[in-house]
Amino acid sequence: MPDASAPAHPGQDMSQADRTAARPAEIEVGRLSKVFGTGTAAFRALDEVSVTVRQGEFFTLLGPSGCGKTTLLRLIAGFEQPSAGTLRIGGREVAGLGPNQRPVNTVFQNYALFPHMSVADNIGFGLRMLGRPRAEVAATAAEMLRLVRMEAMATRRPAEISGGQQQRVALARALAPRPRVLLLDEPLSALDLKLRKEMQTELKRLQTETGITFVFVTHDQEEALTMSDRIAVMSEGRILQTGTPEDIYNRPADRFVADFIGDTNFLQAEVLTVAEGTATVRLPGGASRTANLPAGMAPAAGDRVTVVVRPEHARLASESGDLSGRVERTVFFGTDTHVHLRLADGTAFTLRRQNMAAGVPAPSAGAEVSLALAEGALQMLRG
Amino acid sequence: MAVRDLPLPTDAADAAARAEAPQATAERHGWKWLLCAPALAILLFAASGPLLIVLVYSFLTPAGFGGVIWEFSLEGWFRVFMTRDIFDPDQVGPNRANLAIFWRSVSLAFQTTLICAVLGFPTAWFIATRSPRSRPIWLFLITIPFWTNLLIRTFAIQEVIRNQGLINTLLLKAGVIEAPIQMMYTDFAILIGMAYVFLPLMVLPLYAAMDKLDIRLLEAGYDLYASRWAVLRHIVLPLVKPGFIAGSILVFIPAIGAYVTPRILGGGRNMMLGNLIELQFGQGRNWPLGAALAMTLLIIVVAALVLYLRHVGREDEGRRHG
Repeated sequence: MPDASAPAHPGQDMSQADRTAARPAEIEVGRLSKVFGTGTAAFRALDEVSVTVRQGEFFTLLGPSGCGKTTLLRLIAGFEQPSAGTLRIGGREVAGLGPNQRPVNTVFQNYALFPHMSVADNIGFGLRMLGRPRAEVAATAAEMLRLVRMEAMATRRPAEISGGQQQRVALARALAPRPRVLLLDEPLSALDLKLRKEMQTELKRLQTETGITFVFVTHDQEEALTMSDRIAVMSEGRILQTGTPEDIYNRPADRFVADFIGDTNFLQAEVLTVAEGTATVRLPGGASRTANLPAGMAPAAGDRVTVVVRPEHARLASESGDLSGRVERTVFFGTDTHVHLRLADGTAFTLRRQNMAAGVPAPSAGAEVSLALAEGALQMLRG
Repeated sequence: MAVRDLPLPTDAADAAARAEAPQATAERHGWKWLLCAPALAILLFAASGPLLIVLVYSFLTPAGFGGVIWEFSLEGWFRVFMTRDIFDPDQVGPNRANLAIFWRSVSLAFQTTLICAVLGFPTAWFIATRSPRSRPIWLFLITIPFWTNLLIRTFAIQEVIRNQGLINTLLLKAGVIEAPIQMMYTDFAILIGMAYVFLPLMVLPLYAAMDKLDIRLLEAGYDLYASRWAVLRHIVLPLVKPGFIAGSILVFIPAIGAYVTPRILGGGRNMMLGNLIELQFGQGRNWPLGAALAMTLLIIVVAALVLYLRHVGREDEGRRHG
């Protein structure tokens, strides 16, 4: 680690966080709010959100529909003006500037390609509007067509190409003017699964090749985890947690984040002792283990808290383990098997077990088993 | 039948289906003609028939008190464009009065279309950008003038623009002018009247085109550095063009043949083609000339339409490829 004095959480891989932390800020959002409507009909879509997106980052806004992620994107793009707060892009305050005055381009959910223009004219539109010479527009359009592998389609109309191809054209059109930031509003949601996987790789490649900052909006947690440098999880107009995919998955800060991303087991526990960044807690059944604390949380000894553990971070133990319970049912998933348990105190617990070629068969329903938790697997939740 | 006997090679099945297809299509076509019969009958008797009569009459000789004598003559068509001296029928010259009326008709119809387009666009845009619930109310308001007789509406316009009318009275009272502005019985009066009468015919097709316009295309335009004006020019106008074309045709055709509006607002001197035709069948008692004038109007309309649609088509061709 380059900076030994940085308050690092033990057991956490900091390499990815460091990579982006070194870069200057691209978008600085400060206590940004957006209220739609007035009086009793007023709806607070965004509630004092603060976040910093760094240069060259693949940053994802993740949350269920109606959480405010698209509103935040539209505020950055300039389609909406904020009700309160500050918004800086590349160090410049952009409040009051229209979308055509911001160094930001958007890939729309339905692509919004101009139906009366050819693919090449669609891609060249931004540069033409910027008043670039004809030759430059044509050269850049050709380069963009190559970048998204659509050279053969240059003269087609949007209606004459497939959905996946329209997606590529929308990307090329938004990238052609070389914006500082590319905003992507659920661009993959209209594609079928196979195409979506393909475009995920494609998007990541484009981002690496162009070095442009991507702000990506999605409700798909898997998409967010596989593509992002950092993720901001949003709910009800607020950002609940910002961090690397590993951070968000392994160290969820609150119940919503833990529940929204992946499968999680929630356990009631009691705090025994508190150290820096960690606390020792008593689990249901009496075993005491170390749990990681979310940033800024300082529980006191004796507090009743909730801790979470991912299903794949627990294993069946032959010796007496950290938890014990009775198997209720097992579900076979091919690569792994989910074992659903009921702990002694009545809490439901699921454990995920990889199916080895010559593995021990999964326990049958009704068996009494012991569980061992992996090192660093316990994470305490706020509130 | 055993299951293994069932699968037929797909190619063979396709070929069989194709072989059956032409026969089925032919049968269906026969039915189609039968189903079209009522419409064809109406077209034949209500549209083509009268047109044919007018065409034939234009080549006959006028009877003294209206009607025709069945004797071939080109005099009707000759008189459309030329005149004869009253005292020396062999001395001929161009019919300047008729040519002036043709020109006035084409010019006023064109200007009416232009005014309707300029006023209709913001009107249609206003309606298209209202909430979906209030749009029908605005459209309903647009259609209200149709409830009243055209004659009454034209007299209402007269009430506004005549020398003792609304505009002149207000301007006089305000001290802007010292004598009333002569608007009645001018081409200007006809223009105002026709623009007023035909405006809804432009607004409705324009609205229909705008209603289909995806608002996100405009956002995409703004996002790609287009100004409001550039978005209007490069995105909105090309996409609502079908509405403009439909509206222009709907306005231009009735405008060029307008009768009531020029009769009342233009007075006797500022005739349009419709008035000239009426004159020949009425007081003029020259049915063949009236018929020839009617055919001339038809030819002008068709020529204008062909020119217009060709122009529009070529523009599209330039943008599209292949």
